Amino acid sequence: MHRRSPLPLLLAALVALPVLFGVAYAALAVLGLTGAGATGKLDWTRATALLTDRTTWRSVSWSLYVATVSTAIATAAAAAVALLFPRQMRTDRIARSLATLPLPVPHLVAAATALMVLGQSGLLARLLFFAGVISEPGAMPPLVYDRAGVALIVALAWKELPFLAVVGIAMRAGVSRDLEDAARTLGATPAYVARRVVWPLLWRGLLPAVIATFIFAFGSFESAVLLAPVDPAPLPVLTMERFADPSLARRGEAYGLALIALVVGAFAVAVHEWTRARWGALVK
Amino acid sequence: MLMLAACSTDRNTGDANSEIAALRALPWDSVEARARGTTVTWRKWRGDPAINAYVDGWIASRLRKRFDIRLEAVEGQGPEIVNQLVIEQEAGRGRGSASLVWVNGETFANLRTESLLAGPWAGVLPNAAYIDSASPIITRDFEQDPAGYESPWGTVQFALIYDTMRTPNPPRTFDELATWIRAHPGRFTHDQGFTGITFLKMLMYARGGGVAAFAGGFSETRYAVGRSAVFALLDSLRPGFWRSGSTFPPDVAAMHRLFANSEIDFSMSNNQYDVVNKIRQGILPATARALVLRDGTIANTHYVGIPFNAPNPAGAMVVANFLLSPEAQFEKQKPDVWADGTVLDVSAVPEPWRTQFATAEADPRAVPRDTLARYARPEVSPQYHERLSTDWLAWVRSGAGARRPASRPEPPSEILPAMRQAVPSDSRP
Amino acid sequence: MTSTRLSRDTRASRGASPWRAIAIVLLTISTFVPFVILVVQSSGESWRWPSLMPDALTLVAWRGVAGGAIGRAAFTSTLLALATAITAVCIALPIGRSLAQLRGASRHVAAALVFLPVAAPPIALGAGLQIATLWLGVGGTAAGVWLAHSVPAIGYVALLFLGVFSSRGAEYSEAARSHGATRWQTWRFVLLPSLRGPIVEALAIAFLISWAQVALTLVVGGGAVRALPIEVLSLVRAGQDREAAVGALLLIVPAVAALAALRVGVRRTDALPG
Repeated sequence: MHRRSPLPLLLAALVALPVLFGVAYAALAVLGLTGAGATGKLDWTRATALLTDRTTWRSVSWSLYVATVSTAIATAAAAAVALLFPRQMRTDRIARSLATLPLPVPHLVAAATALMVLGQSGLLARLLFFAGVISEPGAMPPLVYDRAGVALIVALAWKELPFLAVVGIAMRAGVSRDLEDAARTLGATPAYVARRVVWPLLWRGLLPAVIATFIFAFGSFESAVLLAPVDPAPLPVLTMERFADPSLARRGEAYGLALIALVVGAFAVAVHEWTRARWGALVK
Repeated sequence: MLMLAACSTDRNTGDANSEIAALRALPWDSVEARARGTTVTWRKWRGDPAINAYVDGWIASRLRKRFDIRLEAVEGQGPEIVNQLVIEQEAGRGRGSASLVWVNGETFANLRTESLLAGPWAGVLPNAAYIDSASPIITRDFEQDPAGYESPWGTVQFALIYDTMRTPNPPRTFDELATWIRAHPGRFTHDQGFTGITFLKMLMYARGGGVAAFAGGFSETRYAVGRSAVFALLDSLRPGFWRSGSTFPPDVAAMHRLFANSEIDFSMSNNQYDVVNKIRQGILPATARALVLRDGTIANTHYVGIPFNAPNPAGAMVVANFLLSPEAQFEKQKPDVWADGTVLDVSAVPEPWRTQFATAEADPRAVPRDTLARYARPEVSPQYHERLSTDWLAWVRSGAGARRPASRPEPPSEILPAMRQAVPSDSRP
Repeated sequence: MTSTRLSRDTRASRGASPWRAIAIVLLTISTFVPFVILVVQSSGESWRWPSLMPDALTLVAWRGVAGGAIGRAAFTSTLLALATAITAVCIALPIGRSLAQLRGASRHVAAALVFLPVAAPPIALGAGLQIATLWLGVGGTAAGVWLAHSVPAIGYVALLFLGVFSSRGAEYSEAARSHGATRWQTWRFVLLPSLRGPIVEALAIAFLISWAQVALTLVVGGGAVRALPIEVLSLVRAGQDREAAVGALLLIVPAVAALAALRVGVRRTDALPG
């Protein structure tokens, strides 16, 4: 029990092996040594073309923007649910169920529905037409295929809310009742308790899930391909575009884009672990 | 790359090539006998229920009954197929996943460059005798000689789609279209995919001196002329496009949605009969019709090929032969099945099919065949498509005008050794 | 002063805040409206601008499910998800337990490593897995896709059990062992019963990871493995919105129902909060 066995770390490395293998393969591919359009010789042109192309960085920053905003919205909503409905009353239980029910809905379905609702000829537009506010689809502000990514953000936030709500509710329930009661007997109002006792514990406990949500939103292909504009293109869409590039030689660039996405993912993993280590044990 | 090809020649030529060489020596009955009781996996695009119904239903049941072959059609589009075959070739392990693939154009070019197709085999099919070998659209795949590595399956022709109720007098030429766009801002666009680039190619033919100017292989100078003509027009029309040309729909399905929902007044399709299928499926309004521009629209043929690592080349050949049969071609051409054009010379097929083809009813919603033929233009070298695609994306992403210089031109003669057949001078419209 | 504070407290404790009412309304709309839209879309004939309702009712898309591609895809997805769930729990539970023994920096490194397959963008992960499954000879098969799905599932479940085993002391199992129980008996009669809640939760999560997976199935399955989300994506990208809505409902409803049943069952045993 107290011997320092290397087994646990080895097992962890085993679990991570597919990713490390993927990194190695992608690195070889972008350097032209393997994969579609490979020349068999070390070739830096793909990598340099990729890194110096404005499109790449516009893509990365746009994906970061969409992921950040949608995660922020979902986190705020999840926190609100956790804070507003903490008790075992029927209303509270119903609200929590409503918030967490759509958990299994995939990104794809959320995006397709968002397209149906928020398109310029979508259901929302038709309601406005019915109410006499607009007279043709062109008058409806564009929310799909738009630079601001509104429909995409809404779809992602909607999809991520149940997951964050589950975690948030669990965190909230884990805040010791004693702590709250102590604060209350000392004269704190419920609002004060929420703001200064519960919320600090809640958001710290929520952070690992928030990071995970962020990285899922960043890497989601299905929703992006249905709702995003041509320019800036989200990173997963740009990656698939390169994979299908008519010129074989450029397909290697797709692996470079995948590597960039992996770097962002690895960074998120590091932050995730840091927050988990630091605050994960606070609420048990 | 050539070195890599040489090193893995054993894997490259693989089982399928040697098997095909052996099959060629046999009489056709033996090939069919070999294929009995086997399964053929066919990688093809499955995005159209009409095509799926024809292949999974009509074709598959007859293959089972007559040849005892089980057909499994699985999803796969050109680029994916190429990438997957490249990776399978690298892995070098075992038999491949598919025996038959649905390809044409640049996909075929890529497959041949990387030696991913087995063959030649298409010439030994009995039904190949009925192919219309006088048509340059069938005998050349984007100006490439199939050389027996792919067998033709069907032909399609590009058409715009419009709504007779909204647009009772649609424009008939590119000039009229440009005028129309300026008069109706925000009501026209094209998609980012293959169909949209085909539309731009047609524009390039029309404004760049006619398709004859672009025939005979890829030419950098010719392309420069075509490109500047296309982008000059696009620049001037851009503010009149849907969303002011700041973005374009991702694919044809999105275009059909926009069109059906009155966001735009034109859609388009590589298959001029698509409008009939889509009306039947309830996707397009019943008042939609196909329109062929008088400047000429692109007609091309699609083919089937056998991958280098096909587990069942014999079965694949039998399937390809059945696909070519007059019976299957006639069924495929029916408006309520798929309405895909036939690759056969309908005057040379045996009875009763000759009469059937001659008296086949055309759907009134589609463009009549002689009109189609008059405006048909063949495809040119796949590199034109490649370059237009890349340059167009750069154009969209740079805001206005192609700021980024033309994509790194690859020396054609090194990358496409298989393609440097002397292109016959009869590839004229 | 005291009286006002008290009455505010009582009001709040009776849950009469207007925020709660607003929240409930928004939650109801946000949860049910998409579902209703999908139902209407799946049974409607041509639903175009500017109609608020489809032109006619038609069940043609639903009738095609039983023998058609969607039905088969649903079956494939269910099998894959079940296999992934069981595999993930069987492998990741012992791993999580083993990781819980680590302390300090190695624990953080281990936790990060294990989370990597979950956080890695599917396209990047898929490329490596595609080659790996080809080498193993299962490329383009359901077995290969099952392997691929298991990778992120194992990562997630291992992290989950790392947390579970960290907060549980080893006292009970040590006590059992000191009383002469074998390892197997300790597992069977001490550990597993107390782990029922987390195991159920882990099975559910692993099932969902596989059930909703798109990119890995596409890349590793090579188009041959038609799981339900792939079928729905194809239908949406082909413009077949009605059939896609049917597929989407099949994708969602059983999973939501199972999850609801799970939470009710688990709540009864008091193993999960909320």
